[in-house]
Amino acid sequence: MSDEKQAAIALDHVSKSFGTKQVLRDVSLEIERGEAVCILGRSGTGKSVALKLMISLLKPDSGYIWVGDEDIAQLNAEGLSRVRRRMGFLFQSAALFDSLTLHDNLALPLHRLTDKSRPEIEETIERVLGEVGLAADKGKMPVELSGGMKKRAGLARALVLAPEILLIDEPSSGLDAITAEEIDDLLLRQKSQQKTTMVIVTHDVRGARRVADRFAVLDQGSLIALGKPADLEHHESEIVRKLVAEH
Amino acid sequence: MRKLFEFVGKVARFGLQVIVKTFRPPIEFRQIWSQIAEVGSRSLPLVAASGLALGVVMTLHTRSTLVTFGAGAMIPAVQSIAFFVEIGPLVAALLVAGRVGAGIGAVIANMRATEQIDAIEALSIDSFKFLVVPRVAACVLVLPLLTTFMDFSGLLGGYLSEYALSHISLRLYVTRAFTNLDWANFVPPTLKTVVFGFIIGTVSSFFGYTTNEGAEGVGRAATNSVVLSSLLVILADIILVRCIFLAFPESAI
Amino acid sequence: MQNRNLTVGIFLVAGVALFTLSLFLIGSQHKVFARHFEVYTEFANLDGLTKGGKVKVAGFDGGEIVDIAVPGSPTAKFRLKLRIEERLHPVVRADSMVTIATEGVVGDKFLFIHTGSAQAAETSSGATLPSKEPLNLADLMEKSAGLLNDAGGTMKTAGQKLNETLDTATTTIRNANDLIVGLKQGKGTAGMLLHDETTATRIRQSIENVHQATASLNQTARRADDLVSDLQSRQLGQKAEETLSNARSATQNIKATSQRIRQTVDDATGPDDQGVDTATNIRQSVSNLNQATENMSEDMEALKHNFFFRGFFKHRGYYSLSHLPPDEYRRDKLFSDSRNHRDWFETDDLFTSDRSGLETLSRSGGARIDDAIDRLSDSLGPAPLIVEGYSTAQNSPEQLADSRNRAMLVRDYIRRRFHLDAQDVVIQSLGDRPPAGVGKDRWNGVCIVLLHSNSR
Ligand SMILES: Nc1ncnc2c1ncn2[C@@H]1O[C@H](COP(=O)(O)OP(=O)(O)OP(=O)(O)O)[C@@H](O)[C@H]1O
Ligand SMILES: [Mg+2]
Repeated sequence: MSDEKQAAIALDHVSKSFGTKQVLRDVSLEIERGEAVCILGRSGTGKSVALKLMISLLKPDSGYIWVGDEDIAQLNAEGLSRVRRRMGFLFQSAALFDSLTLHDNLALPLHRLTDKSRPEIEETIERVLGEVGLAADKGKMPVELSGGMKKRAGLARALVLAPEILLIDEPSSGLDAITAEEIDDLLLRQKSQQKTTMVIVTHDVRGARRVADRFAVLDQGSLIALGKPADLEHHESEIVRKLVAEH
Repeated sequence: MRKLFEFVGKVARFGLQVIVKTFRPPIEFRQIWSQIAEVGSRSLPLVAASGLALGVVMTLHTRSTLVTFGAGAMIPAVQSIAFFVEIGPLVAALLVAGRVGAGIGAVIANMRATEQIDAIEALSIDSFKFLVVPRVAACVLVLPLLTTFMDFSGLLGGYLSEYALSHISLRLYVTRAFTNLDWANFVPPTLKTVVFGFIIGTVSSFFGYTTNEGAEGVGRAATNSVVLSSLLVILADIILVRCIFLAFPESAI
Repeated sequence: MQNRNLTVGIFLVAGVALFTLSLFLIGSQHKVFARHFEVYTEFANLDGLTKGGKVKVAGFDGGEIVDIAVPGSPTAKFRLKLRIEERLHPVVRADSMVTIATEGVVGDKFLFIHTGSAQAAETSSGATLPSKEPLNLADLMEKSAGLLNDAGGTMKTAGQKLNETLDTATTTIRNANDLIVGLKQGKGTAGMLLHDETTATRIRQSIENVHQATASLNQTARRADDLVSDLQSRQLGQKAEETLSNARSATQNIKATSQRIRQTVDDATGPDDQGVDTATNIRQSVSNLNQATENMSEDMEALKHNFFFRGFFKHRGYYSLSHLPPDEYRRDKLFSDSRNHRDWFETDDLFTSDRSGLETLSRSGGARIDDAIDRLSDSLGPAPLIVEGYSTAQNSPEQLADSRNRAMLVRDYIRRRFHLDAQDVVIQSLGDRPPAGVGKDRWNGVCIVLLHSNSR
């Protein structure tokens, strides 16, 4: 993979279907280290599927998916575990462990995957929850949280291990404009300070424009546009122009 | 038919995986512990209450017959044999299949439906080892104990109803209850529930873990868990009872 | 978290503790057999016994059947290997009988090892104990029902014969009345006496019949006794015990009844100088008797429905000397014991013959008897006085009649004189030969015997 040395994640002619329904068709996409890419597209076009493919929660029907220099579809359990340890994932549904409190949701990965001492863990949890504005809610169970709070809690869990790669499915859905902006600020900070590679699926074009270096536009499973937001404003496809337009 | 064999194959593979992963370090002690709380401590009231009620009813039923035949002294022995040999193990297992099987099926299916299992995987934790193995292990460890509780609460129920009718002393009751009892009447039947526990844990986890149908799938997983694990427990019981008879011929009454 | 640890902890500890407890409770029942010895016994009919069955030694639960060897031929028996607690060893002797018993009436079958006799040696390990085959319930029923039928029949016969006797007695009295009327009318006294004599013989005859009847009742009782002692040796359970106590009370009734029969017969036949009163007595007695025999057959009927009748006739209260054949009486150690106190009286000292040749007790005879009883009065106890009658008449029927008559005369005198009950003074007519070892070969008269206190 010498020619793709710089790529953090690369999709190479990836196709994916569920039963007879083809969700992704021959998608190729490279994401550089430290780069933030936003995936845009209409609902049900396969954005979340693409994201899950990148962390191997789904396997591609054909094509390759590289993370660093590893073909994750071919990895065994241990290899996969090693790769995933460098990644953080925010589910569209947040997917908090509903038998654990918010605090324990964050403590679980810290306990299991790091050598941090108990005070260090507590301190990390405190800090990350503070960043997403949930410091006061760490004792609550997931059912006691609102949709937006869950989203932020999910983001906190994705951030808590300080991953090199962040895969984020709709960080600001269900959030008011002010909170959404705070989340975007947080992501920007991550990018600038930690040099975190980010793939963000979002419908919030305004936020995306602030955070992303490039946009990737999916439509009916195909990647129809890829480039800087400003360039895409004049794209030949009307769908792309509409999706990228700020209002 | 083909589907049935496929299904059997899948469940068997799942069970095998449970066994293999159970002994692969690291062992999830914390999870096992909390599952013992869920499967064991929380099932105890149900098991104890059922045992007590069943004990009372058993004595009421057997009493008149035994007294008619002049074998009133056999009442405690009949009670203890019945509970230690069959009622205790089987009813405890069926109760656990109902309460815990449904719980495991529903919980894991729900985690699957709400992507929590994916989330665990995404955190590079082995979800199978994290969710399935501790539940099966807890069922296996706890069922013999619950069976013992069942046995004793059944005996207590028997004693209470017998006491109400004949004022028998506890000491005499216990002596009579255990005189006719053999180790072969207690140890193998109690330990056979280890198999029941494995069946309940594995089948329930299987339905939960492999469902992929959202909220509806959760309900179906719970139902299927109870139905299949109860059925398999009874089938396994038939085989195990035969095995015990073969191994301990003197326990066959 | 803390709370959950606590509940799980309690759950685990309690569960393991209960498990261990039951192991110990079960274990303790077997530890008893740690020190044991093994013996064998044999049965043709196992009656449902199985391997692992209980073995009780003299009722003490202390062993089990460890093995049953099936017989190789129809004539051979099942061979049972028994494991018995060592501490029971001293009780199990070489002559300890093994039977099959039942817990309750239809409960578990178990082996019962009876205690052996002290003289017999302790069983060695591996010895074979003697056994008694289980009895067949149906057989037993039949046997006892038959026996009771016999007894019932005998009772009826006895009743009938008594009735006959009393009829005779009544006729006699009627005759006596006639005679008195005849006398008053100046008819010959010889005829009267002749009349009287024949009547007396008839009465005697009838009484003999009654005695025979009661003797056969006795016979039945003896057979019942045998059956009962067999039953006893088999250790029937609680239920049987109840039945037996019923039987016992029935027996008590029989005893009372038989006493009343004797009393009545004695009353009826006792010489009485007031003829009319005797008639009334007899009529009274007849109704008593009917009452008594009726009660008795009721008892019998009840007994027929109870096939366990341990103790039936056991304390046969009506065991009477008059039913003991003279031969046996003479040979019996009890009566021939030289330590018994005996007062011998010659015929002439006691009796006078009236004109018809019938003997009666003379006034001086009565005084002699008074003296003798007076000397004995200090040692009179629960044992009856025995009045032996002797006669040296030419032929034995006459000897029997005479000796019996003499004994009865003396007995009746003693009874009336000292107000003794019927069972306190009994008679034995011995012809002309006293029991062996009393120092006399032949006697004519009466001997009053008080049994030595050791033999009573
Ligand atoms: N596990 C699955 N099984 C079957 N079909 C699936 C599965 N996951 C996704 N799909 C299908 O794939 C298509 C793409 O789904 P995906 O979740 O990627 O959409 P999306 O672009 O994320 O939409 P949204 O913006 O609404 O989240 C959908 O039509 C969906 O029906
Ligand atoms: Mg989506």
